Amino acid sequence: MLEALRQIYNIMLRELAILRKNYIYPFCMVVFPLGVMVFFTQLMDDGLPTEMPIGIVDADNTTTTRALIRRLDAFQMSRITHSYATVAEARKAIQNNEIYGFLYFPKGTTEKLLASRQPKISYYYSYTTLAAGALLMRDLKTISTLGSAAVGQATMRAKGFTPDQIQTFLQPIKIDLHQIANPWTSYNSYLSTMIVPGMMMLFIFLITAYSLGTELKFNTSKQWMEMADNNVTIALIGKLLPQTMIWLAVVYSYQYYVFFHLGFPHLGSPWMLVLLGLMQVLASQGFGVFAFGLLPSLRMSMSVCSLWAVLSISMAGSAFPVMGMDRPLQSLSWLFPLRHYYMIYQTCVFNGFPLIESWFHFAALTGFLLLPWMVVKKIKNAMLTYVYIP
Amino acid sequence: MSIFHKIYEDLQHICYIWRREMQQVVKDEGILIFFFVVPIAYPLLYSWIYNNETVHEVPVCVVDMSNTGLSREFVHKCDASPDIRVAYYAQDLDEGISLVSRQLVKGIYFIPPDFETNVLRMKQGIISVYCDMSLMLTYKAIFQTSQLVSMEMGKQIQTKLSGLYTSREEAISAKPLDYEDVPIFNPKGGYGSFVLPAVLMLILQQTLVLGIGLSAGTTREENPLGALVPVGDKRYESSFAIVFGKALVYFMIYAVMGAWLVAGVPRLFHFPQLATWQSLLTIMLPYTLACIFFGIVVSCLVKYRENVMLIMVFASVPMLFLTGISWPQNNIPGWLQGVSWLFPSTFGARAYVRMNSMGATLYDVQTEYRILWIQAGAYFLLAVAVYRYQILRARRYAKERLMFLKHNKEARTLNS
Repeated sequence: MLEALRQIYNIMLRELAILRKNYIYPFCMVVFPLGVMVFFTQLMDDGLPTEMPIGIVDADNTTTTRALIRRLDAFQMSRITHSYATVAEARKAIQNNEIYGFLYFPKGTTEKLLASRQPKISYYYSYTTLAAGALLMRDLKTISTLGSAAVGQATMRAKGFTPDQIQTFLQPIKIDLHQIANPWTSYNSYLSTMIVPGMMMLFIFLITAYSLGTELKFNTSKQWMEMADNNVTIALIGKLLPQTMIWLAVVYSYQYYVFFHLGFPHLGSPWMLVLLGLMQVLASQGFGVFAFGLLPSLRMSMSVCSLWAVLSISMAGSAFPVMGMDRPLQSLSWLFPLRHYYMIYQTCVFNGFPLIESWFHFAALTGFLLLPWMVVKKIKNAMLTYVYIP
Repeated sequence: MSIFHKIYEDLQHICYIWRREMQQVVKDEGILIFFFVVPIAYPLLYSWIYNNETVHEVPVCVVDMSNTGLSREFVHKCDASPDIRVAYYAQDLDEGISLVSRQLVKGIYFIPPDFETNVLRMKQGIISVYCDMSLMLTYKAIFQTSQLVSMEMGKQIQTKLSGLYTSREEAISAKPLDYEDVPIFNPKGGYGSFVLPAVLMLILQQTLVLGIGLSAGTTREENPLGALVPVGDKRYESSFAIVFGKALVYFMIYAVMGAWLVAGVPRLFHFPQLATWQSLLTIMLPYTLACIFFGIVVSCLVKYRENVMLIMVFASVPMLFLTGISWPQNNIPGWLQGVSWLFPSTFGARAYVRMNSMGATLYDVQTEYRILWIQAGAYFLLAVAVYRYQILRARRYAKERLMFLKHNKEARTLNS
């Protein structure tokens, strides 16, 4: 037992020397993951897109339409940057990347409005940028509803109704919206919390496979196995433990930065974050070892890891929900550690429900952590007999 | 030596380098994966993932404390809408929350006991909507459906109250100003139609760079001096010839792969496709060239063949966001916009999306088109320069090695 600990300690020292010598490790383990974190949190710093350029086609050009336009301009999300003479021109401007959408007042809008002939205004928005389109649609719809209500309000006030009565008449049923845990509808706290851990998992996959594969490549595998008396478990533990420490430090600093410094919503307890971070690192390392054991060649295992990790960003089902995918894909999503991470995150951290609610995903992550057991023999065999071919 | 002879010789060198590079590409399984398997399989996979485009029938739970005709009408109308499915009825809010925690429903409609009473008393009836905010698309479905249904029912109540004579009058009093929303260029608001065009362009760039990097890494590893170019081979003396020869291989492969990505896949999965093949060709030519030369420049930076994977794979996701498709371009901070100018994918994806999904003409994307040509030119010059540097370095190494060997030999003869 003591002997095993001493061996592990020696292999750890050897591993630390390797990590220091090859410049790729500090970059891929610390600089890039933290860089990705800063990138995404900075990119979506505003939470919601603001001041998106929109256009106006005002063929009517009266005080009424101008008042509506001014109101629209005051909205936070949209900024009126251009006005066009015709719809065709405005459409061209969308294709030209000048604006994301426009509001169209046909000629005679005010006149018909005053004569109670129900004029029709239209708003056009591009859905090729989905987030921008959906948010603009909300603004444009609000302003159209407001325009409609303003007329009704004026008529009713003239007839002598109280403001309360007017409000009730215009909107007999009111929707009282509760956006639990994310009342700002912030895209930052919704996308960054999936993409950044996903990228960290990508690095853990790759670096685990890379560090095992380079033993073969640089022909140091026999020496490594010798240090562990050809006991592959001890060899693996000694090699991966220093990496685990570094990954944990990186993951925890991400969690600290995002949830405590930037104050992203987390209704769950901080201990849940600690547990989740630990499971994230261990499961990803398990997957990396498994991928290498399955295809004990540096290039193949790394290819598998990178393809899997990139795919898991989509399969996590945060942007496009898994429930919207085809049935076979819903089952396939279980094969991606990020999917389970994301489910635990949103149940236990974001919404703050107890861990028992996502026991299945927790068990799945444990399963990924145990995957290497299936391939240790193959790894040992590879380390002792394979020769690297470039 | 006449100038024609020189040109002829250069052409021969280019052809030789082309042949060597082609052999290497075909023999190496790692490169084959990135040049052929990924560009063919990934778009199919992504199209399958996003094939349903939108979410329908999002499960919600109803807590109906009012339990009256009006509240039931609200529930029925929500259930009948395409986006929402009333999956459970709960006794109280706590039961509803426990359903949310088990991921059985994505939101709760809570109708308070005094809902109908209030409406009949000419007070506002309030319906509380609780949304699980972990998924934006389900939030949108739950909130928008409830809003639509409440407006629809509100209109009916209004017309009953207003006591007007004709139905036309009723319609006008409920909605004096009519409005319609017209989503253009992706009318069904599909997720796949929106994200895939950009992803396709990115796949082209990333697989090219990865493949080129792997190939360069192999060359370096097979070379006894660890250099990118063999020393002493006359055919590898001109960096122009090297860059031309290699680029020709990649261009031939990606002429086919590019056609599959930008024309084949969208047709196969019925994504919007408004660009003509002529305009697609015009934009893809500079884009492919820019990607190839960008890849060659990157490939000179890597020491071992696997390192390119470590550097390029993770960059894909940030690059996708820099194209301004997922996150509006005008909201990307200035310094990141500056970074985005380095990658061909930024402008390639923007131009492709606007032409293919929005039907823009070449004139509309001329800024992107010009930048792509500038990038292609700049990266070409840079590629030639880095290869020049690699040749000189390889020669210096070889010379040092030679000196070293000579020195050893002299020392040995002296000793003996």
